[in-house]
Amino acid sequence: MDETLITEDNIARVRDLLATMEQGDEAGAKEVLDELARVRETQLYIEMGKLTRELHDAIKSFGMDDQIAHLAEQDIPDARARLKYVIEMTDKAAHRTLGAVEESLPLCEGMEDRSNELHQEWRRFIHREMDLKEFKELSKRLDHFLTENTGDAGKLRQYLNDVLMAQDYQDLTSQIIKRVIGLVEQVEGNLVNLIRLSGTNLGIHPGKTEESEIKATGPVVPGVDKGNLVSGQDEVDDLLSSLGF
Amino acid sequence: MNKEMKILVVDDFSTMRRIIKNLLRDLGFNNTTEADDGLTALPMLQKGDFDFLITDWNMPGMQGIDLLKAVRADEKLATLPVMMVTAEQKREQIVEAAQAGVNGYIVKPFTAQTLKEKIEKIFERVDG
Repeated sequence: MDETLITEDNIARVRDLLATMEQGDEAGAKEVLDELARVRETQLYIEMGKLTRELHDAIKSFGMDDQIAHLAEQDIPDARARLKYVIEMTDKAAHRTLGAVEESLPLCEGMEDRSNELHQEWRRFIHREMDLKEFKELSKRLDHFLTENTGDAGKLRQYLNDVLMAQDYQDLTSQIIKRVIGLVEQVEGNLVNLIRLSGTNLGIHPGKTEESEIKATGPVVPGVDKGNLVSGQDEVDDLLSSLGF
Repeated sequence: MNKEMKILVVDDFSTMRRIIKNLLRDLGFNNTTEADDGLTALPMLQKGDFDFLITDWNMPGMQGIDLLKAVRADEKLATLPVMMVTAEQKREQIVEAAQAGVNGYIVKPFTAQTLKEKIEKIFERVDG
């Protein structure tokens, strides 16, 4: 408050007050005192008026800011939809990869089994443990094996290509997430402004924001999550063995 | 260790269930069934004759830790071997799971080798 108490007028009023009191003028003293009080009240009202106007202007300018209305009505629902799309894309990519892997594994197993089997017979032939009739049989199977392997290798290549192509989600989802991070920054800026305008103290009370220790919070994000964490399977094993596991 | 044993895999993400099922198949376990959270898993466990439970922690509906507690509280299921495969890695959580009677605890991301070792360790104790 920039009210100055010591002014010529007020000094004169105090002199009057003293004079009336010394004269025993009860009514006169009361009048001067009332006047002094009025001066003070007027100053107070002026200050309150100023504050009210400032707050009013601030709220008005904040409310009329198109950007904020746009954020609330368009950008945030838009971000939500985009993030949902990220979940869909990563889910699809993971399933496409898993599908290709699940198709490939039996092909590999088949190739492995057939190779093993033929290898053993081939060894019998090298060690001259095979008669001509058996060898003719082996030749036929070898031919069949090579045909089958060529086909399976071709299929395998296709599945591997599929796994390769399924990774395109990373580029696309990164772009979407970057856009949402930009939006979060905007919202943050506006929230900080709002808090400043409302004059609320921004001091964070650590006791109140800490999460319950036992509550599930999902994957630990390096540099973001703090607390009493283990850093990998080895530490989990150490902890469990210290508990008698 | 019986490779024919019946295993229930509980995780809310179907991709993680598929990964675990594939790893189990590679280890020779083909008798696997899936559930997407504790609420669907518990009646399956009570009805079916499962030999092993692998569960995530953070799931909607019933969380893995509550499923573990429900299993331990159920007379018929109390001794069922339970392994948690989860991204939760606060020390307090691991202690909580241990106190609730978990048999193994694997943190994501994990390797096929870790899964193999932990399953072997659990059944060494159970069979031994």
